[in-house]
Amino acid sequence: MTKRQLFYGLNFLILGLSVWAVVRDNTREWKDYQTEFKRLEVSRLKDALSNAATDAEKESLGAALQAAKRQGKAIRQVLANDLGKADRCVTCHVGLDPYANPGLSTPYTEHPYKASEVPEHKSHNLTKFACTSCHMGQGLATTVEDAHGRVAHWEEPMLTGPSIQAACVRCHGDFKTLKGAETAKRGKELIDRLGCVGCHSFNGVGGEISVDLGDIADKPTSRIDWSHTGECHGEHCGALEKRDWNVKNWIELHFTRDPIVLVPGDPEAKQCAPKTKCEPVSPSGMPPFYKELSKEDAVAITAYLMGQTANKYPSDYFVYAAPAKEPAFANPTAHGQYVFQKYGCAGCHGEGGKEGRRNYNAKANDQTKMEEGLEPTLTKVVGNYTREELRKKIHDGVPASAIAKFKEDGPMPPLYMPKWNEKIKGQELEDLITYLFSIAEKQEVW
Amino acid sequence: MSDTPAPTPSPAPAPAPKPAAAPQFSVDTLIKEATNGQIWKSMFRNWPWQDTARHRARHIVDNVWLHLHPTKVRPRALETTFTWGLGGLSFLLYLLLTITGVLLMFYYRPTVELAYQDMKDLQFAVSFGIFLRNNHRWCAHAMVTIVILHMVRVFLTGSYKKPREFNWGVGVILLTLTLFLSFTGYLLPWDQLAIWAVTVGTNMAAATPFLGNEGPFANLLGMKINNDVRFVLLGGTTVGANTLLRFYVMHCVLVPLVTGALIMLHFWRVRKDTFSAAPRQPDEEKVDVWPHLVVREYIAAAICVAFVWFVSVAFDAPLEELANPNVTPNPSKAPWYFLGLQELLVYFDPWIAGVLIPGLIIKGLCAIPYLDTNPKGVGYYTWKERPFANAIFMFGIVMWFVLIYIGTYCRGPNYFWYWPWESWLIHKPAPPPTWSFPLWLGVLSIAGYAGLGMALPKLIKGEIDWKKANWGFGVFFLVLAAAMKIGGDIEAWRIIVVGALLWMTFLFGFLYPQRYLKDIDFMRYQIAQSLNLMMMAVLLKMGLRLGLDVKYVLELPQFNLNI
Amino acid sequence: MAEPIKRKDFLWIGWGALATFVGGATAASVRFLVPNVLYEPSQKFNAGPAKEFPVGVSTLWFKKQRVWIIRTEKGIYALWARCTHLGCTPNWFLDQTRFKCPCHGSNFSTDGDVIAGPAPKPLWRCQVEVVASGDLVIDKATLENRPGIRDKAPYFAEV
Repeated sequence: MTKRQLFYGLNFLILGLSVWAVVRDNTREWKDYQTEFKRLEVSRLKDALSNAATDAEKESLGAALQAAKRQGKAIRQVLANDLGKADRCVTCHVGLDPYANPGLSTPYTEHPYKASEVPEHKSHNLTKFACTSCHMGQGLATTVEDAHGRVAHWEEPMLTGPSIQAACVRCHGDFKTLKGAETAKRGKELIDRLGCVGCHSFNGVGGEISVDLGDIADKPTSRIDWSHTGECHGEHCGALEKRDWNVKNWIELHFTRDPIVLVPGDPEAKQCAPKTKCEPVSPSGMPPFYKELSKEDAVAITAYLMGQTANKYPSDYFVYAAPAKEPAFANPTAHGQYVFQKYGCAGCHGEGGKEGRRNYNAKANDQTKMEEGLEPTLTKVVGNYTREELRKKIHDGVPASAIAKFKEDGPMPPLYMPKWNEKIKGQELEDLITYLFSIAEKQEVW
Repeated sequence: MSDTPAPTPSPAPAPAPKPAAAPQFSVDTLIKEATNGQIWKSMFRNWPWQDTARHRARHIVDNVWLHLHPTKVRPRALETTFTWGLGGLSFLLYLLLTITGVLLMFYYRPTVELAYQDMKDLQFAVSFGIFLRNNHRWCAHAMVTIVILHMVRVFLTGSYKKPREFNWGVGVILLTLTLFLSFTGYLLPWDQLAIWAVTVGTNMAAATPFLGNEGPFANLLGMKINNDVRFVLLGGTTVGANTLLRFYVMHCVLVPLVTGALIMLHFWRVRKDTFSAAPRQPDEEKVDVWPHLVVREYIAAAICVAFVWFVSVAFDAPLEELANPNVTPNPSKAPWYFLGLQELLVYFDPWIAGVLIPGLIIKGLCAIPYLDTNPKGVGYYTWKERPFANAIFMFGIVMWFVLIYIGTYCRGPNYFWYWPWESWLIHKPAPPPTWSFPLWLGVLSIAGYAGLGMALPKLIKGEIDWKKANWGFGVFFLVLAAAMKIGGDIEAWRIIVVGALLWMTFLFGFLYPQRYLKDIDFMRYQIAQSLNLMMMAVLLKMGLRLGLDVKYVLELPQFNLNI
Repeated sequence: MAEPIKRKDFLWIGWGALATFVGGATAASVRFLVPNVLYEPSQKFNAGPAKEFPVGVSTLWFKKQRVWIIRTEKGIYALWARCTHLGCTPNWFLDQTRFKCPCHGSNFSTDGDVIAGPAPKPLWRCQVEVVASGDLVIDKATLENRPGIRDKAPYFAEV
């Protein structure tokens, strides 16, 4: 090749690459959506025009048609300055843009609802809330994948379906009474029923065995060990793709799979550094709930938990609920049952104390494996205690080190009976004991 | 001759012209008329172009952009394989980076609330925003690479030798400035990648002796986390709003200005030192720079531009999640060109790995022209005429890039060793516990290594037969390996690691100096051999850690001296 | 009568003045770059009278400041409650005298050393100081976990 040929060739190559850059910059996904919107809007107005009865109607529709035809392509955004939001969702969901489509008359790309008919949209002004303060996702983005938050390095995926009710929980203290927040309400009820607070706390209120869930929705993806959610083949990892590695899916997995699969620990002490001894580490202490919960239950609990965030909006965005009153009870047994639920006893002992849940490597009857270790089933054991003994047991708890192990060199059981002396006392304690005796089966010895 | 360019032809259709009288408007006449006027001639003196020797020379001399060149160069300097145009390409990238950087400044706001949002805007909402950002990013990486390659080329062609010693030093400083330019820019996107790379990078500053709060003798000057050199660099105790602003100012104003000034000095020296170190042939005739050199430079520039253009359209610059000082990614890595140093942090205390070793590298590089007294090998590639210089320098360069490779591809969560093909999701056991030499053995090892390493090559008279020496080493290693296997039950791969590194030290620390460093004077020998030995010591220490889990050879915590 | 100043000396004084000015200007510029006020949230807090902490692990400031305060026979130190594995918050277990992380099961001793689990490094200790009033002031901005260094001031305070 001569220098001259090189000179021309390279100049054309650079020109070509620059043209490629220009083309790439100008072919953006959102433009297709706006083209389609314009087509729909023009055809709708044309139809309306041909059916128009009066001259005045014709005139206004004609003007609207001309305006629609003149409509250029542009990135649109909704600003909510109080929240620092600039959401470009309306760039594709043009039908929702109050400026491009004041009557919200063409519902194009506002699936699955007609936005104007969603009552929440009426009460949550777009210029005050924008889109992502409820729906999450990435408001600044203008491609489908990025905007909906299904990309790596974006931690807030768009909440779809009933998950969106997490947004209600974030601001509405009284979300349980809201119409449309039924899933979140159900999630909260499940959390109360299952006794999550026996081990978990919410903003410091609750058990201390496991993680505080008060800001669980803010948990960064990098703090999660994804190793056991499934083998990875490229971007596909078991049930989840890598771009779906976010806290919402992590929470949900805890109710659709056995937590000891997600967090297996090191029960055989195999992960020691070379030439060292190390202790076995028990897997997740969380009992398996996946058998008794449906997919809808898992979604409901996740929706409620995704509402638990420390990222607070300005106070005028909040609807505070009146502080809940302690309900009154007719008899001590009913009160005891309430106390049983209030402190999450069911988390370990099962609902109504009927079924002790898994406690890894704790000694239980008829056990062949460490994962068959169980917490005491209260209905079977309470009968062996006197009232005084039971009071002392609840008061002092049983430390993990005092729990009999199934395998002596196995890990320490992760669950244990906390000291309740500072939490359950007085009338609550007495009524709880009364309740416990009321459920005890006295015939069997455990 | 008219004073003004010819008026442009009226766009109105001419009324049916008579064929004979019609004025002949053509592009050529238009250009001729336009370039004949006073305005044009005041701007371009060498006009009209004629292909004569005089015009070729004036084309260079009269043009502010080209006058850096001489008017004629020796034909050798035109060969592509001589310089590869790397110096020019470094400058080209500097210019491209200035242009793209200035454009990006129009949209970028250096505050913690807005910087990341502006990155997203560039990607999603600004026309050509992502192209410019990609271009700036990839040009920066390309510039770092090309500047390093330029240094290697200058070394291998001996182009740093007298009278160019000083300009080599300027070049070394320009290399560090290039790294610093890239490093300060790294923070600006304000994502997780940025703040943790900068946190890791600036933590090394905290280990500076006397001036850093974690360095040796920090107490003497009362250094604390809120008054040491790192504090000044960051404008705070952690990477935060002040740091972002500081790095922004350094990246956009301070460092480019200093770099620009030094580039001018560098060019001026290049020009004063006869432009090219190519040796003079007996019957050579110099060739004109215009067009011969200029067209080659243009082609090199065009290839470079085409390459970065392609990469910028095809690959997006990385952008991770918004910076969060409370969430440390695991692992946190510095920018790739500092990963060699970060890898050394595994084996050495921070002030040694982060301050002493890089300091010695820079000083050692600057010292090369003053240590290398070999007059041969100026202006051409040769291994035979300068075996020692080439071997040691290339050894250092290869080691540097191997360390970068390890840091980039072989280090996973907790900075444990993961092979490139292994998933980071595997749980690796912690590395085995480490141990240190007892003090007497440590002192003995260091003194023995330094003393023997300095003295032996000089003491032994006559030539050593390399073949025999290597066989001798082989026998020694077999005995050592057997002893290690029997005595310590050490895995084979560890023995091989130790053996390979010992052999390299034997070769470069003893055999080469014994043969080639005999004739240089005492001072130069002392400096060259001690720098060489220190480089080999870094490698040996890595071998001791990887092979024998040695934490420190010499442990003197009271002086903060743990080697 | 005083000696008239010589030309040579005068030049020295002149150059000296310039050098002093340049040096002073440089020093002033560096000083300018050292901020006197910061907008960083303070990592320091007053944990109350040091003598009132009983021997053992105190969780008094665990919820509010994410630190445990540990008093031994000799003195007092503060551990930052952040697991060195992935940054979760471990809990204190008195019966086993250890901290256990709920996320992936790392165990730490009261010294902060790793006993079990995936954590690669010991827990960090904060800088502690017993001020004149007898109060314990803890600075979470300065951390240390290397044995030997962490057992001495400023990461350990005698009480």
